Amino acid sequence: MTRKEASSTGGAKKQVTVTINGKKYPADEGEILLGVAVREKIAIPHLCYEPSLDPYGACRLCMVEVIKDGKREMTTSCTLRAAEGLEVVTDTPAIVKYRNVLFELYLAEAPKSEVIKEMAARYGVTKTRFLKKLDTTDSLGNKCVLCGLCVRACNEIMGAGAIGFVNRGPYTVVNTPYFEPTKDCFGCGACAKVCPTKAVEFEDRGSERVMTSWSGTKVPLARCDCCGGYYAPKALAISTLAHITPSLREEIAALCPVCRGRRIARDEILAGRGGGAGSHG
Amino acid sequence: MDEPTLDAIIARYDDPAGRLLGILGEIQDEEGYIPRESLAMLAEKLDVRLSQLYSLTTFYSYFSLTPVGDHVITVCMGTACHVKGAPGILEALEGMLGIKSDTSEDGKFSITTDDKKFTLEIARCFGACSMAPVLRIDGNLYGYATREDLPAILAEYGWEP
Ligand code: SF4
Ligand code: FES
Ligand code: FES
Repeated sequence: MTRKEASSTGGAKKQVTVTINGKKYPADEGEILLGVAVREKIAIPHLCYEPSLDPYGACRLCMVEVIKDGKREMTTSCTLRAAEGLEVVTDTPAIVKYRNVLFELYLAEAPKSEVIKEMAARYGVTKTRFLKKLDTTDSLGNKCVLCGLCVRACNEIMGAGAIGFVNRGPYTVVNTPYFEPTKDCFGCGACAKVCPTKAVEFEDRGSERVMTSWSGTKVPLARCDCCGGYYAPKALAISTLAHITPSLREEIAALCPVCRGRRIARDEILAGRGGGAGSHG
Repeated sequence: MDEPTLDAIIARYDDPAGRLLGILGEIQDEEGYIPRESLAMLAEKLDVRLSQLYSLTTFYSYFSLTPVGDHVITVCMGTACHVKGAPGILEALEGMLGIKSDTSEDGKFSITTDDKKFTLEIARCFGACSMAPVLRIDGNLYGYATREDLPAILAEYGWEP
């Protein structure tokens, strides 16, 4: 069965064909073009593309040129939607020029970021003409490019709103209000997960998770009744459990995922044996 | 700011558009700055995150998160005023008030005299460029300012040499 036939069943999206660098690729109508490129292993550098959030176009690295009616127009591929006949090219001289300046800017903005260094080097940019932003007190270790993904994940995905942009212009940073520990943080770590430059840091210390990047906000961890290990932020463990229907049996609700799995397996085995014994008796 | 005062301010904004900035502006007018407790209370009352309010207040140079003096002097350092000699005005004011300014870590510029009488701030363009250089004291605008004018202007606000 071809993709097309498959898509006609089950209300799936309409299939279209897009052209990238002269080659045709199938895509869902309305799919993010950068997503198609990633799937097809076509290299387009990008920092702020996060499929779980709405396209935002903050980092400007994912530029492509759209060819339409013989004209070319530069645009960000993470905000471009697949449509029938869409044709784009990557790495044109204009894009390369534009992108190299961006890499230089990012090397200055986040001079300690290995991710940026590696990415820029892949495109031949190893030096920057701009003044490097080096601040030893920066809680994001001079790795933040201010893409805003952490702020958005915290707000839009988690609904916590614990962090935000602070100040403006060259003084802009991401942190908690008043640079103090905040009660709004669940300690979920979504910020660290989405951060493209691995700038956000946190650490589990005994019964607490310490969000080192976010003014040392501390979040209590839930402890497993069985092995005694700390396995997840308490507030998250509680709210996640509350969402499970039917709810977990009380004996396994207070266990870490590993012990929970073991307990369920053990119970199953015991139940099986018990049944067998019963049939004999 | 006490709760009834804040409630009264909030009640004036039934339309959510522009509400936050409007309310923050009124808090600042009332208190001279935005007290921490007011920001926290506002977050709770409007059910917005403190992080969002903090972002707004630190973004706009208009808002101050620290107490200011009895009189706030704002020197325009916009392009037109800059060209017309605003740096000299600022320097003269620093001398008169005995304070030395420096951009603080948040990028804002605001210093208050030890006796808490004056706060010196800078802003970028009041929209009164035709009168450049311009300064503002407690909402009163002074155009075509010269260093020589300053003692007389400041005297209106209780400044003594
Ligand atoms: S910490 Fe990471 S995710 Fe957050 S703004 Fe900086 S680079 Fe983006
Ligand atoms: S990934 Fe497209 S602008 Fe950042
Ligand atoms: S530059 Fe000062 S009022 Fe415009």
